[in-house]
Amino acid sequence: MLTMNNINKTFQTGDIQTHALRDFNLTVNEGDFISVTGPSGSGKTTFLNIAGLLETFTSGQFLLDGKDIGNLNDNGRSRVRNEKIGFIFQGFNLIPDLNLFDNVDVPLRYRGFNAKERRQRIEANLERVGLASRMKHLPSQLSGGQQQRVAIARALATDPRFLLADEPTGNLDTEMAQGVMSLLKEINGQGTTIIMVTHDADLAQQASRTIQIKDGRVSELEIVAQKAIA
Amino acid sequence: MFSYYLKIAWISIKRHWGLSLLMITAIGLGIGTAMTTVTVNYLMSANPIPHKSQQLYYVQLDSWDVNDPYDDGQNPPDQLTYTDATNLMKAKKAYRQNVQAQAYGVIEPEEQGALPFMVSARANSADFFAMFDVPFIYGGAWSNDADVNKEQVIVLSREINERVFGGENSVGKAIRLDGNIFKVVGVIDHWQPKPRFYDITTGAFNESEEIFVPFSLIAEEKIRRSGNTNCWKPSSDGFAAFLASECIWTQYWVELRNEQEKQDYMSFLNAYVEEQKRFGRFQRPLDNRLSDVMQWLENQEVVADDAKMMMAMSFMFLAVCLLNTIGLLLAKFLGKAPEIGLRQALGASKATLFSQYIIESACIGLAGGALGLLLAQLGLVAIENLYGEYMKGLASLDANMMILAIALSLLSSVIAGIYPTWRACNIQPAQQLKSQ
Amino acid sequence: MLEIGLIIRALLRNKIGALLIALQIALTMTIIVNAIFMILERQQQMERPSGIDENNTFYLTNTVFEQDYNLQAALNRDLAMIRKTPGVVDAIQINAIPLSGGGWSQGLQTQPGEDQDAIGTALYMVDEHAINTLKVELILGENFAPEDILWRASGQTTWPAKTIITKAMAQSLFPDDWQSALGKTVYITQSQPIRIIGIIKELQAPWNGWDGVERSILIPYHMETTGGKYFIRTEAGRRDELMPIIEKALAESDKGRIIRRVSTMEETRERSYKRHNATNKILTTVIVTLTLITSFGIVGLAIFSINRRTKQIGTRRALGATKWQIMRYFMVENFLISTLGIAIGCIGAVGLNMWLVKTFSLSPINIDLIVMGIGILFVVGQLAVLYPARKAALISPATATRTV
Repeated sequence: MLTMNNINKTFQTGDIQTHALRDFNLTVNEGDFISVTGPSGSGKTTFLNIAGLLETFTSGQFLLDGKDIGNLNDNGRSRVRNEKIGFIFQGFNLIPDLNLFDNVDVPLRYRGFNAKERRQRIEANLERVGLASRMKHLPSQLSGGQQQRVAIARALATDPRFLLADEPTGNLDTEMAQGVMSLLKEINGQGTTIIMVTHDADLAQQASRTIQIKDGRVSELEIVAQKAIA
Repeated sequence: MFSYYLKIAWISIKRHWGLSLLMITAIGLGIGTAMTTVTVNYLMSANPIPHKSQQLYYVQLDSWDVNDPYDDGQNPPDQLTYTDATNLMKAKKAYRQNVQAQAYGVIEPEEQGALPFMVSARANSADFFAMFDVPFIYGGAWSNDADVNKEQVIVLSREINERVFGGENSVGKAIRLDGNIFKVVGVIDHWQPKPRFYDITTGAFNESEEIFVPFSLIAEEKIRRSGNTNCWKPSSDGFAAFLASECIWTQYWVELRNEQEKQDYMSFLNAYVEEQKRFGRFQRPLDNRLSDVMQWLENQEVVADDAKMMMAMSFMFLAVCLLNTIGLLLAKFLGKAPEIGLRQALGASKATLFSQYIIESACIGLAGGALGLLLAQLGLVAIENLYGEYMKGLASLDANMMILAIALSLLSSVIAGIYPTWRACNIQPAQQLKSQ
Repeated sequence: MLEIGLIIRALLRNKIGALLIALQIALTMTIIVNAIFMILERQQQMERPSGIDENNTFYLTNTVFEQDYNLQAALNRDLAMIRKTPGVVDAIQINAIPLSGGGWSQGLQTQPGEDQDAIGTALYMVDEHAINTLKVELILGENFAPEDILWRASGQTTWPAKTIITKAMAQSLFPDDWQSALGKTVYITQSQPIRIIGIIKELQAPWNGWDGVERSILIPYHMETTGGKYFIRTEAGRRDELMPIIEKALAESDKGRIIRRVSTMEETRERSYKRHNATNKILTTVIVTLTLITSFGIVGLAIFSINRRTKQIGTRRALGATKWQIMRYFMVENFLISTLGIAIGCIGAVGLNMWLVKTFSLSPINIDLIVMGIGILFVVGQLAVLYPARKAALISPATATRTV
């Protein structure tokens, strides 16, 4: 469902050109749970940003559900993000001014659902992460793990085809991290494709496929599908 | 989606209430100040008789000293001599014509024990009332014959009619003015053109007169004239000599219904001056003018310099307030960079974000506009109190001004919001999402 | 200072924010300097002395309406009655009141003839009691004698033989030596001779906006008029008590006239300068609000920039910066922005003044005021940034180690 062919990304800072990705190739299949590891500065985040249509790439081909993403304008890219992709961040990135309900509401508004549909989805997804009772709370009133669960509810509310998670457990202690991880596995089990960037080897092991990025290339690809929660 | 933007704007304004309040106050003060001065200027330059201001013309002839031109040669004299005014009246070449001067007198009520009192008067021609659309309650104007025959007739203002006759229909009754008996022919309703265009020489914002009598009675010394008199050539003693002198003290208006009539009248005036030149008068070059109401007000600079200066300054004031708002909005929106990045990740396009932040700016602008209206109202009350008589009736907001205030505040806030919004929308989402 | 380069580089990275504040300061300075200038100019105008004893004088208008009224007899009777009222120092009939806005003017010229330049002057028709009643100071020459006072009929165009003029008028007529005016014959209404027998120090004309307001002359006339004015000076402190007494005495002594508009010179001055006063109050309000708005703008933006840099400031503190060094950073930053704003503001202030001079014929601005404006805005800027700078100094060094 996601194919990257020879993707290149270069940054120009002054006279220096940095290659963040070089001839990057990757194919992701429906239902995959991929973990992406690599040392810092290897291009992990760039890969995730390109996959999430947050950044454009310099050259190459990027197909999503068979559709070429390279020539979409800002509006088109926004729509794809909204409809097909859910994001989970290391810093949770909840909007501090909005309560949980309104936070989950954000992508639904951009989709243009009616009030009833939005309410159903918000309640169902907060229920799913176990925070339905705290809908009116502000993010600052929650613990880190709870905040990340809200972020997951928000990412799932639009029924995305796949989730992009950037160090989702980076700011959490081990216990909370494991909680979030099992939630992700559960979601993957229900059919959502997940790409997760992490530097935690233990977590990476729990994915069905692990790839490692080094110097902007996929240097190694280990399939551990059968090892995961079948 | 609009209601969602409103909701988000409201939450954002509420959460950063100190900052929002600062911006609303800044816009409010700017709009309030600007509106106060704009209103004063607007009312000062208002058209007092919109439906026929282009048919009423003020007549100027250059009868002044050949050695020392009037107004340094910029404009012909602002009034006419008695000789010229009466000659033009006799010629009767316009559709309607009116010669007038300010006057005053003492009325002695019949009633026992009632004290005599001073009244301000206008000595004018019969056509005055029809030309300037003066509203009558009882009776009407005197006839043109009354002017010619110097009849002692009088038109009273509503207030004087109430004072002397208790407000009843006094047409046909007698009233004693400066020891002479006058017959009441009409009573007019409250009438106060702003500016009082028909006689700028005695103050564009003064009150209209309390009584009106035929101009021809001045020569009979049945009414005492006041107002401005300006002379350049010495004359001999006595009132008859004064009337025949080159002193200017009368104002002359004509009503001309179309361009043709105007041109004809101009030719008539030129011919008249050429004829007078043969008697040794009008030694200066031909400079006759016909100014319609708005041209005349403009020419006489009815809008006070102070008012114009204040307006210029208040717009600079508004500019400061806008710069202030731009700065604060910029800080606020850039402070929201992580949220903006996130919203982009969740599917908001730049256009969507642009709408959202412009709506937030507009909300602040609207609130500022409402505050500004309130402040403008207060400002106008203050101006009226500070300036007294001079600004009376010039300090009120009408519907036009209110709409202008709201439009101005919306426009200013949107202008103030555009740059910060544009900056906010160009935030790279990827950079904002990594760390918080 | 070592920091300045650093601060400038930081500012350049946030050009627009700094520029916005600088522009605000510039506009504020432009307006404030000109507004202060306008206030001072008006104040100077208002402070010019009228030359008369304003505290103890009042006047009233006497409007005769009865037919066949003996104006001469009535005037003599009225003046005698007022002058002998206890508490009254002296009284005169006069045709116009200084500062009141309404009066007579004429031209005087040193040579007769239609083509000679005449100098405009206000004209006061009074008798020999004028100098005492107005309490003007006769600095040269002599007062009118009782026999100098002539009757002036309504519409009369001839003039008496003598006049007393103000020093300012003498200076205008004889710019080389004003004292030489005494005893000279000048010409009124182009050709009638009139001799200057005295010079008084000052007496203002009725029109405060006229540039010749210091020029006036006294003409020895009693007027036969149905609309005359009486001007009265009382003993110190007795004015208010005597006003109703004299009004009543005049009104009751004669029913063929109306006594009205009894007003004091103090009221006249207030009315005369009402618009000046009003404009000054408004300008003061503008200055104060504008300064406040600009300071709040500075405070608001400084707080935001500090909030954004919390972690950076914490790190600096952790690396050993003292509280004062943190405060100083923001104060120097404000000083730099202010300098830019004030530099633009100087140009703006002069530009606005030039426009005002051109459009409304105001006078050109004084350099002192610009210097004052510079001072004011630097102080305002530093004061405004004090609070946010203190807030920044209070940021804990521990902020540096916090991750989220």
